[in-house]
Amino acid sequence: MRWRRLRTLLVREVRATLRDPFTMASLIAVPVMALLAFSYVLATDVEHLALGVYDASASPASRRLVAELGASDAFDPRPFATRGALEEALVAGDVGVGLVIPPDFERDLLDRAPGAPPPELQLLLDGAETVVAGNAETFLRAIVARTGGDLVSGQAWGPSGHAAPTGLRTVTRVLFNPRLEGTPFMVAGTFGFVLSFLTTLITAVSIVSERLTGTFDQLQLTPATSAEILLGKLLPLGAVFAFDVIVMMAVAGLLFGVWPKGNVLFFLGVSSYYVVTSLSLGLIFSATSTTAAEAVQKTVLFSVPLVQLSGFAFPLRSMPAVVQWFAEALPATHYIRICRSIYMRGEGPLSMGGDLLLILVFGVALVWLAARTLERRA
Amino acid sequence: MEGLRRRVSNVWAVAYREASVMRHDKTFLGAVLVQPVMMLLLYGLAISNEPANVRWVVLDREPSALSRRLVAEVEATGYFEPPQWVESYRAGEQRLAHGDATLLLVIPKDFRRDALAGRGEVQLLLDGADPLISARVGSYVAQVALHFDAGGRRLEVRSAQGPSMGWSAPAAVSLRPRFWFNPTLRDRDFFLAALAGMLLTNLCLSASSLGLVGERESGTYEQTLSLPTSPIEIVLGKLLPYVAVSYGVLAIAILGAGLGFGIWPRGSWLALGVLTLPFVLASLAIGVLVSSVVRTTAQAVFLTVFFILPSMVLSGVMIPYQLMPNGIRQIGAVVPLRWYQIGLRRIVLRGGGFAEVWLPILALLAIFAALLALIRWRLKPRLG
Repeated sequence: MRWRRLRTLLVREVRATLRDPFTMASLIAVPVMALLAFSYVLATDVEHLALGVYDASASPASRRLVAELGASDAFDPRPFATRGALEEALVAGDVGVGLVIPPDFERDLLDRAPGAPPPELQLLLDGAETVVAGNAETFLRAIVARTGGDLVSGQAWGPSGHAAPTGLRTVTRVLFNPRLEGTPFMVAGTFGFVLSFLTTLITAVSIVSERLTGTFDQLQLTPATSAEILLGKLLPLGAVFAFDVIVMMAVAGLLFGVWPKGNVLFFLGVSSYYVVTSLSLGLIFSATSTTAAEAVQKTVLFSVPLVQLSGFAFPLRSMPAVVQWFAEALPATHYIRICRSIYMRGEGPLSMGGDLLLILVFGVALVWLAARTLERRA
Repeated sequence: MEGLRRRVSNVWAVAYREASVMRHDKTFLGAVLVQPVMMLLLYGLAISNEPANVRWVVLDREPSALSRRLVAEVEATGYFEPPQWVESYRAGEQRLAHGDATLLLVIPKDFRRDALAGRGEVQLLLDGADPLISARVGSYVAQVALHFDAGGRRLEVRSAQGPSMGWSAPAAVSLRPRFWFNPTLRDRDFFLAALAGMLLTNLCLSASSLGLVGERESGTYEQTLSLPTSPIEIVLGKLLPYVAVSYGVLAIAILGAGLGFGIWPRGSWLALGVLTLPFVLASLAIGVLVSSVVRTTAQAVFLTVFFILPSMVLSGVMIPYQLMPNGIRQIGAVVPLRWYQIGLRRIVLRGGGFAEVWLPILALLAIFAALLALIRWRLKPRLG
């Protein structure tokens, strides 16, 4: 490898990249858009969800309960005149949750004989929307339990008269992310998404189009070795994506207040190394494809499971054991784990040695494989 | 009348040519067949939002039969692996800090005495770096604790902090939840019901944009322009075969989910077919629009990704749009996939028919009309 030849190749690549303003713009715009799209959407709570209410009781107690539900910010109660109307709205998908208050609600609540069961509210949930239904149930339970207690304890005879509650008190503390917000989780994961998917896609396309126009063959006729051609391709694009990482960090920090808790330089270092890994993968795809469309299809077919199984959006540990082993064999899984460790828990390199080592091995293996592929095509 | 007939025959001729090209495109056919199978396996077998095999740590400061029973009851919820035991609070916190465990349950000294007296209390430490799982398992454990019967005198339970953890007195009012359409809240049903939406978005957007740009690059587009056909006829003719392929993909998705996982559409099949047409047309139109803006395949790829990505994220096809913040939720309404997934889930899971999906159909038609107007404006015959 000769530095002079490599420098010539680098200058050529940088010029070629800069000459196309559209590509440059999308190299910056697509990652930022991915960051914006992803960071807002993961919700662990419920906000202003339409709640259909059929209040057969129409009593002060039931009205108070509905008012409490409305005041919670979690639900926007919408009254329905009959149970049938509420059920229809649920089938049509107009409301995701329905609450049925029985006619005897107030009487059962306030004049309950000792030992009698408490009044029962019926909750109808649209199970077709699994996450919404699960979250809504948890929230409604909490609000109803609190309001129910208030309604009863407001009475003169006090709480001693009704059935004794059971159970243990739970004191909860959440580490690293006290309000369990989805944004930092998704921000940290988006680095993995962008650096795994977009990097591969862009290299795959760029080299195939060079092959189509014939400039790639000319390149291979020069005295440059395939390792030099490889580095000449990887380094400029790698620099662009390293810049992307900085832009994304700034956007996430300034817009959402999500800064890495760990060492920024360490994060940048790992990310830059990982970029080279994914770029090599894109190079392999493009070297084995004859048309750009084929390279794109290959990348997409490979990237969809990569993104879905890497733990970016869906919990890894919920997957079947076989799939988990497969996921461990993807570099993206380890990079995303490292991102979250640095971003959210503020860990240093020592406590994630295993993941770092694997990323290192993947990187060396893929770069070597890419160089071999280029040689064979020459 | 004569003009219309000529138009139809022009469109048909272009469609015929396009279909014969497509038939020999092995990459395209491979993608059409491989993608549905891959997605079926992914969403049918691999992916779920439901916590499972959660790793947790228990610090029991005073082991007793009662504390062991509490641990066993938590484990019996089925979401957890067998617990790991630690000797000190620090050691437990360390596990959480390294991501080795999601949850630390601390059973205090005098737990047995307090619980029997009705004053029992446990502490829960959650890993906030995994908010989705932590929120869920936190509430599962709190629920177990709330219903834990220590066998002694019982006492009022006070609410804990945080809205999602806020479990408190169960006594005054009881709540009986019933989950319609999907009683066990299986994520598989949620995903597979909208599988066709994901597949068709990928297919229609990338096929039409890449196909048209590829022709422009290879020069065959100019040849077609020199024919006595108008640009809009060419575009329509090019899109017709894709509509046919789309219905094939829809059939694969439905048959796969039905035969493989027993999830057949519960509602009207006719409504499903009708709903799909404006969605496919709108998605293809986006592809055409993309191809009319860009010059090279690379640019087409970037711009297509630029459309597919927010479609998948903001439409609610994977992540429920109902829980997104105001503003973001409304932006998602301009994405065709939003309306298609709403319609798909109404038909497939809730057993809906035309009465339930007329609004999504109208919305899709409106989006298609708007896109068509944009294309007409962009698509002046031009060379190069």
